[in-house]
Amino acid sequence: MALLELRKVTKLYQAEGAPVLALHDISLEIESGEFVALVGRSGCGKSTLLNLCGGMDFPTSGELLLDGQITTRLNDAELTRLRREKVGFVFQSFQLLHTLTAVENVELPLLLGRRKQARSTALERLRWVEMADYANRLPHQLSGGQQQRVAIARALVHDPRLLLADEPTGNLDTATGEIVQNLLYLTAREFGVAVVIATHGAESVAIADRVVHLRDGRMVQAKVPQAAGQLG
Amino acid sequence: MSFALVLFRRLILRPLIGEPIRTTLTVLAVALGVAVVIAIDLAGQAAAGSFHSSLESLTGKSDLVITGAGGVDEKLLGGLVQLPYAFDFSPRIEDFASINGKGEALPFIGVDLVSHAKAEEHTIIDQLAAADSIWVGQALNLHPGQSVDLLINDTPHPFTVAGILKPRRGEISEDNVIVADIGLAQTVTRKTGKLDSIDVRVPPGGSLEYWRSIIQKQLPVSVSVDPQGSRTNENRKMLTAFRWNLGVLSYIALIVGAFLIYNTISISVVRRRTEIGILRALGITRAMVAKGFLAESLFFAMAGSVCGVFMGRLMALGAVRLIGNTVQSLYVSSHPGPIALTPRAVITGITLGIAVAILAALAPALEASQVPPVEAMARGREQYVVAARSKRAIFWAALMFILAAVLSQMPPVNRQPVFAYIAVFFLIAATSLAIPNIVAAFATMANRIIEKLMGVEALLAMRSLRASVARTSVLTAALATAVAMMASVGIMVGSFRETVWLWMNDQLKADFYLRPAGSSASDRHPTLGADLAGAVERLPGVAAVDRFRAYPISYQGMPATLAGGETSRIQNSASTRFLPGENREAILSKLPTGDYAVVSEPFANKHNVRPGSTIDLPLAGAIRKFKILGIYYDYSTERGFVVLDRRTLLKYLPDPAASNLAVYLKPGADPNAVRSSIDRVIGGRAVMVSSNSRLRRGAIEVFDRTFRITYALEAVAVIVAVVGIAGALLAMVIDRRREFALLRFLGGAQSQIRKIILCEAGILGLLANAIGLVLGTLLSLILIFVINKQSFGWTIQFHWPFLVLLAALTGVYLATVLAGLYPARMATRMNPIEVIHEE
Repeated sequence: MALLELRKVTKLYQAEGAPVLALHDISLEIESGEFVALVGRSGCGKSTLLNLCGGMDFPTSGELLLDGQITTRLNDAELTRLRREKVGFVFQSFQLLHTLTAVENVELPLLLGRRKQARSTALERLRWVEMADYANRLPHQLSGGQQQRVAIARALVHDPRLLLADEPTGNLDTATGEIVQNLLYLTAREFGVAVVIATHGAESVAIADRVVHLRDGRMVQAKVPQAAGQLG
Repeated sequence: MSFALVLFRRLILRPLIGEPIRTTLTVLAVALGVAVVIAIDLAGQAAAGSFHSSLESLTGKSDLVITGAGGVDEKLLGGLVQLPYAFDFSPRIEDFASINGKGEALPFIGVDLVSHAKAEEHTIIDQLAAADSIWVGQALNLHPGQSVDLLINDTPHPFTVAGILKPRRGEISEDNVIVADIGLAQTVTRKTGKLDSIDVRVPPGGSLEYWRSIIQKQLPVSVSVDPQGSRTNENRKMLTAFRWNLGVLSYIALIVGAFLIYNTISISVVRRRTEIGILRALGITRAMVAKGFLAESLFFAMAGSVCGVFMGRLMALGAVRLIGNTVQSLYVSSHPGPIALTPRAVITGITLGIAVAILAALAPALEASQVPPVEAMARGREQYVVAARSKRAIFWAALMFILAAVLSQMPPVNRQPVFAYIAVFFLIAATSLAIPNIVAAFATMANRIIEKLMGVEALLAMRSLRASVARTSVLTAALATAVAMMASVGIMVGSFRETVWLWMNDQLKADFYLRPAGSSASDRHPTLGADLAGAVERLPGVAAVDRFRAYPISYQGMPATLAGGETSRIQNSASTRFLPGENREAILSKLPTGDYAVVSEPFANKHNVRPGSTIDLPLAGAIRKFKILGIYYDYSTERGFVVLDRRTLLKYLPDPAASNLAVYLKPGADPNAVRSSIDRVIGGRAVMVSSNSRLRRGAIEVFDRTFRITYALEAVAVIVAVVGIAGALLAMVIDRRREFALLRFLGGAQSQIRKIILCEAGILGLLANAIGLVLGTLLSLILIFVINKQSFGWTIQFHWPFLVLLAALTGVYLATVLAGLYPARMATRMNPIEVIHEE
């Protein structure tokens, strides 16, 4: 069974009274350990799709199954638990809490889930992203790339089955972007986590197991790139 | 529309309208602050503003008034009318009566109806009196021909209403007064042959002093001639300290409001740093930035002050009753007048609101103007500024603390504790300056403990409070100030209450107390029938009766009470405690042996009298010198007592009737049986018999009623602070919506978001309560030992009213946490996707 399954998912928004079709009839299956790149122009529905996949939003029609659970049948508390246990998010603008140190940011999902050994697990993840030496620094004392690495550690700290990354390299220079992208790729490979990355970058497309093209809310293409499997 | 107005509308007004609840809360905070000041001012004016005693009702257009301690012999009037000048003398009896012995004591005035009927301007009566005729004010709701029983002293008298008094120009008129012919009034008040005062109209030409000296020459020195209104002036002087202190208390809510304005503008500045940077880059000057924020503050001030004036008018209705109670209990019988919202009060309220708001907004507005455009986007600068300031703040806090300590030791200025109040201000300022450091230290030390106890939500709340230490500190300071004032006044009143209770234990040793029925006041001393004391004393089971007689007098231009008691009874009963270092036995042994007196502590402080000094009292035709033997503790009235031995008093004022009696039982006597015997002796007279415990309970009830106004003022200050906290938490939710949205992405539940906000409110409340309690205790020391002593002259023993404080602080804490409920609801209702995408 696929880790994530979208069945004829459609999403309509109301904008100033008029309906806006954000996603239309999307069907997709993503397996554990798969690295999927979502591509398309701004406003094509990439972020909406990620939010639906992460249980942050509900489709207007269709069904979305995450690890066998149909998200539309879950209430807010059950969805929260699902996210807390099975989903990790990485954002374009890092979204670290400025009042917390790097390690405190990383351990936050564990604390929210009342999990034990939060600090040691957080430090372990920081080591994995090579940020252990910066554990006690506040976000504004870190560079953009460092902040995003901390954000990836945070997204992985609770051992999610699915990692959703929305333009994770969008605010980074090319070299730093590559480091972050490799980290995400390794996440899929080393931990068997399904990674879905919304991106404009050709590099991500090149290394992805699968590329999903979106245009005006419709899936126009889903293919395996030639370069897949060459990295790692 | 001018350029400035366009900018104001777009950059200031629009964001304010965009956050209507927060804007309303800030306006409400200012409005409440202004309203309290207005309410106390208006209520003070109405309850005691005219400062005339009810007894000055219907004094007409007289120029001088003749009075004497214990009254004026009416024979003197015969001599006065012989003077070869066209004086117009109006003799008066001034007493109190209650209708059917119930309700408040009403002024009962006896005037010479015949002369009133002749004097065209003074015609208050349309027809001459029948034997039992009275004329009543409109407010009494009586009608001509109606029969009423009036309780005067301890005796009910039947009267018939002959007419309704109409208020007329030029008279100090009360619409709840009762007027009778002077002869009748003398009889029913047991003042036959006596007058309470003689109003005098002088002929045209010649100074008032000239006419006064002519009349004075005709009178014995114990009778004084003073300009009409002298008693009003005396009352005004007596009430100055009371009104002054009440006025200062009323400003607390406004000070708390100032903190909140400061906070609101500071939040505005922090939020708009980027905007300020952009505007500065576009060419707006620093002055314009500062003016913009001052204009924002002005908006709050104008809206708040205008609302505050009207709210104040409404609040005055409640305040006037509370202040009236206090004035009545402690000072003078007066009936509250109408509440008048004068242009002066309106202008004062609005000016105060604006001044406070502008002053409060000055610092953040100036800081905003200093933001360099390039740094506008930089995070963390604000915290750096706060950190850099912290050492300076500690220095200034320490300096102000020392100044407060020094100022609290300074003497009063014209009997006003001016320096003590400045010390209070410095103490509050010192604490406010120290609060950022206290908050930071608390956040550092308590971080892990709170996290362990309350989980990650508390940790996040703590971090947020620490990160926004500037904002947190202002809110903590606002609430801490309100809590401190509440705690300090609570401790002061609690200490006073405990002191009064202990004093009553010392003072009230008799088994029963008798006084004429009807309401009591510190300037009313109705008498019991002269035969009653003897009759009670002869009852089986009664060991002794102490006859106490009191007269209202004027001493050095201030109202006071002259009294006489039976020293031997006081001595035997071990009542009456003297100031430390004074020999009670020696004082009481010497008191009956000549012209000696003891005085109460407020009298001694007010008139700077010490044991060994001599006071002059105009009695029985001459100025009598009394040597002060001692000063005793007394908490019954601020007017102050001069107490002589009863025999000495009778020597000069030979009226044997007592104002009240203290009855001591023989050992083993059955109190119930004696009580029944006393009731039989009283017969048809209206006498209130109180057991010892009932009298104490009654006294404590009066005490509690007296201080209700202070509790009301504190409550408003706390409400202002809590309203401010609600507004600030709302702002916090809006500012931190990204954080809350992110937490939802990271698996945070709605309940956890709610808990974070309630934790922040709770930590704020905890800090403010703790700091407020410490500051309040320090302030209470100044209130008890300096301000009270300098204003009222009472010695109060320090006492912690533990339960009262616990209840009050718990109430404040709960209110603070509840203030977080709405912001928490807002936070949980935000759409996290929208918020994250805004970024």
